[in-house]
Amino acid sequence: MSNTNITKEEIMGVFPKVAATMADALGCDVEEVKLDASLIDDLGAESIDFLDIVFRLERAFKVKIPRGKIVEEARGDLSEAEFDQGGVVSAAGFERLKSFLNEVPAERFKSPMKVAEIPRLFTVGTFCKMVLRQQRAAAATAPPA
Amino acid sequence: MDEHFRAFTFVDRINSIHPGVRIRGSYAIPQGIGSFPASLVAEAVGQLAAWSAMAALDFKCRPVAGLAANIEMLSAVRPGQVLELAAELETVDAEAVAYGGTAHADGVPVIRLQHCVGPMIPLEDFDDPQVLRARLALLQGDGAVPGGFRGVPTFPLDRSGGETGKSLRATLQVPTSASFFADHFPRRPVFPGTLLMNANLELAAALAAQLPAPAVGESWVLRGVSDVKLRAFTPPGETLEIEARLNQHLPEGATLTVETRKGKRVISGARVRLAPEGVV
Repeated sequence: MSNTNITKEEIMGVFPKVAATMADALGCDVEEVKLDASLIDDLGAESIDFLDIVFRLERAFKVKIPRGKIVEEARGDLSEAEFDQGGVVSAAGFERLKSFLNEVPAERFKSPMKVAEIPRLFTVGTFCKMVLRQQRAAAATAPPA
Repeated sequence: MDEHFRAFTFVDRINSIHPGVRIRGSYAIPQGIGSFPASLVAEAVGQLAAWSAMAALDFKCRPVAGLAANIEMLSAVRPGQVLELAAELETVDAEAVAYGGTAHADGVPVIRLQHCVGPMIPLEDFDDPQVLRARLALLQGDGAVPGGFRGVPTFPLDRSGGETGKSLRATLQVPTSASFFADHFPRRPVFPGTLLMNANLELAAALAAQLPAPAVGESWVLRGVSDVKLRAFTPPGETLEIEARLNQHLPEGATLTVETRKGKRVISGARVRLAPEGVV
């Protein structure tokens, strides 16, 4: 599912509610939940927090968010073998990842990157885009009024 | 005595099951035990939901306690009563089960769980899939012989500090051995999250008792728990620090935060809602 045409305006449209939801999940002040904050490195999120955040976002935005699909979507048309080479992101996969996660500050992408390290890149903005993609998907499949 | 399906099992019978969707069952609280706290009623609903989730995933995974957005404590139960349990599963996959559920006793609502999430773990690391399949068949058939649970284990909370009416801290020493470890779980003993929450609620109740009474002749009672999060497994023998802190204190209600730490790491947290007795 492409996200290259998600605008900054769209992201900022959902950001306040995403930030408030994340602050509730993480037990932090909403002021700490900045758009480019890394969930793991800046906000201290653990795996249970990712689950909590996704389920809360689903309830807040009334969308279904497929879990564990970000890496699959970032891969695009690259096969798993072309993307993941012995647990390390391939050169082609790395470029695809940077393009898909274009909300992540460029300096955070360090090559070579282990596939298991990809979640460390995820920012609040990553989840804003996730919500927007699911809203678009829901709108595309909704029956005509 | 084999404590599997006895020491910490709170489903005796499954009346109907649609794997991954819904499940109905019951649990007879044994006579002769001192009490059956709300945390164990919540555990019973969670265990019921777990059966539906495990059946949906062909016993490859099982859920553990993780998140609960809201738990309403509606009424107390007594030993000897039968809990009628119900769970509705919102989603279930190899990562987690999301569910809600209720328990009733003699037609009276006892507890309501909303937006709970149980992270999935590889079942064979914790129990025998074949034994669980057989157990499910028994529960759906004749049912289990009730009466295995012998009462809530006592864990002394060693008070370690606080500020009267504002906070309380205590040390909880998890036992190195206990009958419930053989049931939770046979292949990897883990201190049950609901027993940890029960200890947190005991400390919260102790702090509530320090608050000024809401009105003449009234006292504060626990009415609900929200934003429950269990971050890590607790193995036998751990030393944990529990803290209850007052967040808000109004005539119509009060809220506390409870948190458990192992060293510097927070391993569980929740918000506790108090109400004046007699006011729901």
